[in-house]
Amino acid sequence: MKSIWKNYKTESAYDELMFSEFQSRAVSHKLCQYLNSLKKEDIDKRKIAAELAIMEMGISFTVYSDEGNIDRAWPFDIIPRIIDGREWRIIEKGLKQRLTALNCFISDVYGEQAFINAGKMPGEIINSSKNFRKECIGIKPRHNVWANICGTDLVRDKDGIMYVLEDNLRVPSGVSYMMENRVITKRVFPELLQDIDILPIDDYPTHLHDMLLSIAPHQDGQVTCVVLTPGIYNSAYFEHAYLAQQIGAKLVEGSDLVVNDDDCVYMRTIQGLEKVDVIYRRIDDDFLDPEVFRKDSTLGVRGLMRAWKAGNVALANAPGAGVADDKVVYAYVPEMIRFFLNEEPILPNVPTYLCSNKEDLAYVLEHLAELVVKPANESGGYGMLVGPHATAKEVAHFREIIQKDPRNYIAQPTLAISTAPTLCKGKLEPRHIDLRPFILQGENTYVTAGGLTRVALKKGSLIVNSSQGGGSKDTWVINMEED
Amino acid sequence: MLSRSAERLYWLARYLERTENIARLVSVHMNLLMDLPKGVEMGWRQLILISASEQEFYEKNNVANERNITRFLLADASHSGSLFSSLSAARENIRTSRELLPDEAWEQVNEMYLFAKNNLETVVNRRQRVLFLNEILKGCQRFTGLLSGYMSHNHPYRFILLGRNIERADMTSRILDLASLLLSESRSDEMRQYETILWMNVLKALNALLMYRQQIRSRVKGDDVLNFLLLDANLPRSVGCCIAEMSLCISKLPNNDGLPLKLAELDAYVQDIDTRQTTQDQLRSILDGLQNKLGELHSQIADNWFLTATEE
Repeated sequence: MKSIWKNYKTESAYDELMFSEFQSRAVSHKLCQYLNSLKKEDIDKRKIAAELAIMEMGISFTVYSDEGNIDRAWPFDIIPRIIDGREWRIIEKGLKQRLTALNCFISDVYGEQAFINAGKMPGEIINSSKNFRKECIGIKPRHNVWANICGTDLVRDKDGIMYVLEDNLRVPSGVSYMMENRVITKRVFPELLQDIDILPIDDYPTHLHDMLLSIAPHQDGQVTCVVLTPGIYNSAYFEHAYLAQQIGAKLVEGSDLVVNDDDCVYMRTIQGLEKVDVIYRRIDDDFLDPEVFRKDSTLGVRGLMRAWKAGNVALANAPGAGVADDKVVYAYVPEMIRFFLNEEPILPNVPTYLCSNKEDLAYVLEHLAELVVKPANESGGYGMLVGPHATAKEVAHFREIIQKDPRNYIAQPTLAISTAPTLCKGKLEPRHIDLRPFILQGENTYVTAGGLTRVALKKGSLIVNSSQGGGSKDTWVINMEED
Repeated sequence: MLSRSAERLYWLARYLERTENIARLVSVHMNLLMDLPKGVEMGWRQLILISASEQEFYEKNNVANERNITRFLLADASHSGSLFSSLSAARENIRTSRELLPDEAWEQVNEMYLFAKNNLETVVNRRQRVLFLNEILKGCQRFTGLLSGYMSHNHPYRFILLGRNIERADMTSRILDLASLLLSESRSDEMRQYETILWMNVLKALNALLMYRQQIRSRVKGDDVLNFLLLDANLPRSVGCCIAEMSLCISKLPNNDGLPLKLAELDAYVQDIDTRQTTQDQLRSILDGLQNKLGELHSQIADNWFLTATEE
């Protein structure tokens, strides 16, 4: 192998593309052959071309800092991540199974609570969950689906097994980057995409649109869908605008909508008020409706919950769906699958210690330096402790805050999450990655072919979030010829 | 169509038109000055007179020379009337309206913005400034062209046309305002000697020289030029033509109460101007009146359609 692979280390974790410095896996054989056929300058040129495309396409995300909000170009690594189609079919099934069970669970939580009554989960977990919305009790969204759009994070441990790390059921983001990554790869490696049988991903907007139509309160005639964004300063605004454009929906802010005395939602147009049927909302529950949730919210729409409860508008995801997006509830998902679907879970959870549980807490406090500790309700990789990488002071701090509020912390063993070759200063080096497939559920269920691969660009880092120095890669699900 | 979107597209078009106008104005002016002998009472200062930004300019600069003025007009991000500020505002408006426009429209404006941002420093150098301005002019034309070819000529498109034409009419009236200074009785003999060149450049600033030649077929004369640029029914940058375009858009938009009347009044006002019968002072006050009326038209458009007006 040529110099770009020199000293490529694969010992410390499972590498998605390489067995070793000298040998590629079957799925990545063609890619590696191709990369080796390129001169080093060629690879650099492609990298520059990709960066240029990102700038011109204006793919960005916003970083909040003391100096103000900065629109940053999306950090992208041109070397794709590859998944074998045979493995993918199993993962896809597992993801559908999981979201189906989660939706059964949410319906149950706001309904008869059979899961809790059967002793499968302490009711206290729900009562103390800050994402449990008592306003949602007794509501039945169409198809009994609460989480219509889910982003599930998967990681592969050293044993080669894909584990579910978390289910994002509130307002998961990243799907636009998944799609734009493919657009960039098509520009940068057109020859390669011709030769390899990669599953397409650009049908996502079609499925998203179909799903949104399937949950409309009335199924006759024209349905008006909108995407509700917190506004142009939100870090995911690019994505909100992108998705609205792709599905031909209007992109609205809270002040564009109004709920009238008839409990219907209208948008303010040049013609006057126009009725809205389905809202793909990208605003957290807390800010959705100042009449019900946070009173100081200027992002939401006064009366939106009234309209939703009256069945005059569909909200995706439904308010209250976040109750299952809680790292404590996560620990019970395998049990949900058995209880509601009478099936064995296809995708395993990462072993999880619940600090609310006395025995677990004792274990966690004793092994803090080996574990990853996460708050139950944060997202974006904030407020975490990665034991093996933490200072004694940080460990001591967590020891204190966990004991103060055990319900809100969980701990998991530190996984040696898998790596993939990533272009670093003209050389390939292993960097840790995860995978976020997106699952849609309305009348039907759909899973993206692959998903968004996020990569921790800093050497040795396990944090893949874009707000904390992460980047992303195109993700190829490949049908192998011998299939 | 959302009121918010209508407003953003209208401003997108206004800012892009402004970007293009500033580029053309500076570019034509540069050519003009190369033709004129030194010492003629025509210099870079005229460019800040036209945009009514003299005061702001002198707060930041001591000398009205080429370097300072071109930097102020093209590259100064803290001057809201500069080319770069207009382009940035256009980009912000299109960034927040992407769902209504073809992808290429956003990419075009974004590319142009990135180009301008990376080349701001080059505008002080005359040769590089020419390249810079050409690139901007081409970019603006590409944007107009691709919308005309890729986008349904629907309500969003009409708000773009409205914004473009109101800005265009305003700019044409400002250029005529400057030109009317050239009619001043106190102009020097030397200035009179170069008058034709000056009028040709006024026409060039509005891309109208060729069309003028075809239409008027006599030598370039001040009165004729003024009449042509105000009233010609076919020239896209004449004030009359801009008004006709706006009337057409407005007639097809819903909830246009009061606007057809307002435009008819504006049109009558313009059609009444006879440049052969007016003194330079009268002309200046007529053009001032025209600019005020365009301002009123804008307020009425905002009242009828924009979010600011519909909110309690």
